[in-house]
Amino acid sequence: MVSRDSLKAYLYLTPALSVILIFFLGGFILAFIQSLGYFPAIGQEDLTFKYYREVLNKPEFFKSLSYTFYIALLSTTIATVSGTFLAYYLLRTSVKKSFIAFLYKFPIAVPHLVVALMIVFILSQGGILSRLLLKGGLISDTASFPAFFYTQNALGIILIYIWKEIPFVTFMVYTVMRNIHTKLGEAAQNLKASPGQVFFHVILPLSMPSIISASALVFAYSFGAFEVPYLLGATYPKTMPVWAYLNFISADLSARPIAMVINMIVSLVCAVSIFIYYLSAKKYLRKWS
Amino acid sequence: MDRSKALGHIVLVSILLVLILPFLVLIIWSFSQGWASNALLPNEFGLRGWRYLFSQQSRMLSSLGMSILISLVVTGFGMILSIPAGKALGLYIFPGKRLIELLVLAPTIIPTIAVGMGIQIAFIRYGLADTLLGVILVHLPLVLPYGIRIFASIYKALGTKWEDQAKILKANGWQRFWFTSLPFLYPGMISAGVLMFNVSFSQYFLTYLIGGGKIMTLPILLFPFVNSGDRVMASGLSLIFILSSLILMLIIERVITDSEEKTNVYYL
Repeated sequence: MVSRDSLKAYLYLTPALSVILIFFLGGFILAFIQSLGYFPAIGQEDLTFKYYREVLNKPEFFKSLSYTFYIALLSTTIATVSGTFLAYYLLRTSVKKSFIAFLYKFPIAVPHLVVALMIVFILSQGGILSRLLLKGGLISDTASFPAFFYTQNALGIILIYIWKEIPFVTFMVYTVMRNIHTKLGEAAQNLKASPGQVFFHVILPLSMPSIISASALVFAYSFGAFEVPYLLGATYPKTMPVWAYLNFISADLSARPIAMVINMIVSLVCAVSIFIYYLSAKKYLRKWS
Repeated sequence: MDRSKALGHIVLVSILLVLILPFLVLIIWSFSQGWASNALLPNEFGLRGWRYLFSQQSRMLSSLGMSILISLVVTGFGMILSIPAGKALGLYIFPGKRLIELLVLAPTIIPTIAVGMGIQIAFIRYGLADTLLGVILVHLPLVLPYGIRIFASIYKALGTKWEDQAKILKANGWQRFWFTSLPFLYPGMISAGVLMFNVSFSQYFLTYLIGGGKIMTLPILLFPFVNSGDRVMASGLSLIFILSSLILMLIIERVITDSEEKTNVYYL
């Protein structure tokens, strides 16, 4: 017997859920079906795992997977660590609240594409920094300025991500830390805990769920992102999303299922990262509540 | 103590520099008119870039209009859909709630590339590809998680006590929503609005895949400039992009008279 309240809840949820189910998960399910080789337009209607085997056996597969992991992990780690310390730092400074609000709200209005463009203008070989070094006599010509883009170290891409992600992490962690700080941090201070002790024994463990949640979102985003690595990534290897897209637009229609298989692998990695967050956040919550 | 204070100032100043400096570079580029490849500053400043941007050929104004139209429609519908959904998740306990909470989060977890490439074939079949409606429909699920989470947390904090009071006073369902709950939702609507607008406004991949180049928005126009083409144009375009989304945020900030709780739900 379903209660009246439950019926009401389902009714309220139906419009939003239908949109998500049809226009988002529907697309994902179609991608999954196509990854199994279902493609009536070229006369393929049998379902098979052969494209999964094909992708896993490609020499690019491992290269591309590790390149994507490298970019996502490095940018997430740098953004998480600096964002967390920055949040704590902002918490303890006497600067105005409105100034802090500006620090994290401003970057929200700047889309990834614009951030990419700005970093290119600064760090490319014809960019401002290389011109500065040239003027200062530190390099003899712009070609000797280290390459940040189209390279395997992907430093330019990582810098673009962290410019955008540090404010995100800082804000998510800052709001939680502020609550903890006023409640427990001051109590610990009264008990003569040093600032370092307050941070590592009180503030940090209690903010952990929000730190992990912010970094999981950031990781999932940068692992599945397309634009920046497509524009500024190395010719080889490609990141997984770019590799999927190149297969998708290939004139050879039989490359479509390959693209969908890669999409499934990317989605799986993102889902697993969020799941790990969920498990570890639960662990922390249990331990501390 | 003085040393740590000085260190603090250095940290703050460097954060500001990292945030502001790139924009200065954009502004300088957008007004430059000839910049030798080894010179630190342009040898000539002028309005050539800006004049071209505001001319018909650049398609900047029409793309900006299209971007604003899409994002406003998406934000509006996103609001209408996520308020009742947030109410359901914030106030009621029902079978399958955990699953639904997970489904609602899906658009922030599963990357848009997988969804876009998968759904394109269906959109072509049903005539939604290359249309404005098609682009709006693929943007819509992306903004819902933000709205639903914000409204769920507001309703959770609010409880049912106010609506119960109104019920005793014989207000009908609409009256209870309109006069009792809505005023409490107002700050959340503003935060959700800013977020939803920005998510849609900066979307590139789905607009490109489903709009097929027929639906021209600012991100589509800007995309090729990131690694090639006229830097003067690219800078002007970027500045217009940032400025238009900042102006919207400022309008909204003016409407919010901030108190702590309200900004708490800003990003979650």
